[in-house]
Amino acid sequence: MSNPELVNRTAVYESNCGQITVCGLCEPGFFRNLKLDDGLGHFSHYSSIIQKLDAFETIATQKGGRVTLAIVDNNVVAGYCVGAYPDKNDRWAALGELMYELAAIEVSRNYRGCRLGEKLLNMTMEDDFFEDKIAYMCGYSWHWDLEGKGLSAAQYRSMMKQLYSKFGFREVYTNEPNITLRAENIMMIRVGNRVSPDDQLKFRHLRFGMKPK
Amino acid sequence: MLKDYPKAIVTKDGDSVLLRPVTVEDEQALSKFFSEIPDQEQWFLREKLNDPNILHESLKKLNYKRTLPIVAVREKDGKIVANLRLHLSLAPSIGHVAHLRVMVHPDFRSLKIGSWMILDCVKTAMDMGLEKLFAEFVAGAEDSAIGAALKLDFRHEGSLKDYIKDKHGGYRDLVIMSRDLQSKWSDF
Repeated sequence: MSNPELVNRTAVYESNCGQITVCGLCEPGFFRNLKLDDGLGHFSHYSSIIQKLDAFETIATQKGGRVTLAIVDNNVVAGYCVGAYPDKNDRWAALGELMYELAAIEVSRNYRGCRLGEKLLNMTMEDDFFEDKIAYMCGYSWHWDLEGKGLSAAQYRSMMKQLYSKFGFREVYTNEPNITLRAENIMMIRVGNRVSPDDQLKFRHLRFGMKPK
Repeated sequence: MLKDYPKAIVTKDGDSVLLRPVTVEDEQALSKFFSEIPDQEQWFLREKLNDPNILHESLKKLNYKRTLPIVAVREKDGKIVANLRLHLSLAPSIGHVAHLRVMVHPDFRSLKIGSWMILDCVKTAMDMGLEKLFAEFVAGAEDSAIGAALKLDFRHEGSLKDYIKDKHGGYRDLVIMSRDLQSKWSDF
């Protein structure tokens, strides 16, 4: 459980994109009067993972669901980071609530280069909740806005690595088929300081398809 | 980029194997590894690291900017079960490419350790900003490594006919394979 004081916590930043408010652990109902920036959406070679505000509501309503938003001009969502326990059909669900997925992080095309990703992750991860978890992210190169960023998939991968490593994540290997489909794809984890060595070993085996006994 | 090491893999028999850069402390374990490679395969080694003196000199001159040697170490007993060397160049004309060589201990083949090492090398090379990776294999002697490379999106660039002479004086082709590392959005 997260500290209730963290719910709807905000931090205001001055950036080269203007004033940005980052709100963490947004609770259900928070999203009603917001709108998505037009740099989040559907483009010719890229589509945002979240294109409707309703998706935030759904995630925030789930047990353990987390939504962190970067808001500009009082009510415009310029970026988001969402997290949840793994879906019951995911391999990682075999370890129950030990596992926690940072399922998506995205910054509007209009607000890139303002270090919003870092602010979003910082707000999301600043919670003792994660010390009991193996937090993980799966980066699939087919979701990346390579055209918008003007990067190769390898460069985008390195950018993701740099971003997440600032928050204690490191790359790990797995034979999970979606991750192995392209070498650029990446799985990174952050092991909380209260996670036992036994659980870490179970997770290592699970990464290679061996279910915990 | 090396701070993510050691990287763990688990083989299908349940053993944990750690991939990590070679250090000078590995001399004894590496010497044992090379001594257990069959004679006919040792013959094809370019750097003759099976010679303890050459291995010793090589470890004394470890420079990860020139050659990044990675070993796969069985966690339970520290045994080196595979060795990969990524050869880099400081020359700007060929600084965008690198060459890899990989060798797996005969008792640990068919466990995909070589594949994981090549994949690890591909990812490391990407993170270094390299553009292309080359691998050279001896036809008829390293066919399983060729198969692993093909599965990891290496492609056949060509063969140098009769480039290699085996221990018995027979000729073998050198198979040259490459893998592009910097795919753009239009490649997807």
